[in-house]
Amino acid sequence: MTRWGMVIDLDRCTACQACVVACQVENNIPPVDQADSERGRGISWIRLAPFREGEHGTRPSLRLVPIPCMHCERPPCVKVCPATATVIGHEGLVGQIYARCIGCRYCTTACPYTVRQFNWKKPEWPQPMQDGLSPDVSVRPRGVVEKCSFCHHRLQRARDQARMEDRTLRDGDYLPACVESCPAEAMFFGDLDDPRSVVARLAAGPRAFRLLEELGTKPKVIYLSKGESGGDV
Amino acid sequence: MTSPDRDGAPDRRLAIAAFAVMFCAAAAIGFVTGGLRSPSVDQPIAFNHRKHVVENQLGCSTCHQFYETETFSGLPAADVCSTCHSEPQGKSSEEAKLVRLLKEGRPLVWNSLFRQPSHIFYSHRRHVMKAHIRCETCHGSIALTTSPPRSVKRLKMADCIACHEQRNVSVDCTTCHR
Repeated sequence: MTRWGMVIDLDRCTACQACVVACQVENNIPPVDQADSERGRGISWIRLAPFREGEHGTRPSLRLVPIPCMHCERPPCVKVCPATATVIGHEGLVGQIYARCIGCRYCTTACPYTVRQFNWKKPEWPQPMQDGLSPDVSVRPRGVVEKCSFCHHRLQRARDQARMEDRTLRDGDYLPACVESCPAEAMFFGDLDDPRSVVARLAAGPRAFRLLEELGTKPKVIYLSKGESGGDV
Repeated sequence: MTSPDRDGAPDRRLAIAAFAVMFCAAAAIGFVTGGLRSPSVDQPIAFNHRKHVVENQLGCSTCHQFYETETFSGLPAADVCSTCHSEPQGKSSEEAKLVRLLKEGRPLVWNSLFRQPSHIFYSHRRHVMKAHIRCETCHGSIALTTSPPRSVKRLKMADCIACHEQRNVSVDCTTCHR
């Protein structure tokens, strides 16, 4: 069984935010004005969260960690959705079905990673951008919640292509926009259940950890870091 | 002197009755002629599917050129029509209109008769070429019609799900929703 997952190597990540921009363009995410941004109403499916490392006065540093939807194996958002608008599929993708979302925002509260965002207004783009929206991703209306989809519209296309060529999906056929755009090659994507895949090998390595693992959500985004101690693995 | 009430009452009743009769007649005429003359799907000409598919044995892909190779099926551009219709083939007034439009050299703007929500991914090539679903499964008897239907058909999720369940293929939300 396929289980899609992502690996982010924090030792390689330069916090350039190319992934953030790529995601914004790929997924028809509207720009936000200053007033809304100040109220925390901007939308981004992947963000860079700052984590302070080291004691003050010693050698403090700020590490920026890219945070997309974790596509948890046991997603708290799915549990609380009263409209079955967010569901986990057979391949582990946590989907958001906008047409079914009633905008109650239970899921945004339930998500411990705070990656779910509410559409406070009708999305709008400056005119030249309006014509450049991706037809593969629906534009979300006001009043629904959205989040990172692992670019599953790319999976729909990749699977369609593979089926037409009478073959199964190959490693690399389906990559989310963030992974594809990462100039530092710090992001990896693939089938965690396939022992030969890059992600499975990295996820089993000694540098691997997950965010808020103790909650039991079983995230499918795995981070790699040798840690503050600067271990030699 | 007669009161205006007594005199006015029959007149008023007559006027109301006459108005009601005329209103009904106008509505009936409007319903019949409106239904016959102006389909709500506005097409460049009233295309006759039956003439092409049944009488002339043309395959669907003659005009809908992409459903075998792409996710979409495509509506014919003017050059597809002009392959046969640069000169009139018959005596139909709609064909005469088409020939005129083609001679004017303006692009033909067909409107789709089937509507799927924009948040759905659907691949024609995969359904037709790999799953061997027949066109009429979703498009009904469109090939037998002589003029465009009055309204656009909205494709429903229940039909997709029923077929997917019957064939034991994925019914995951993200298989189609995007």
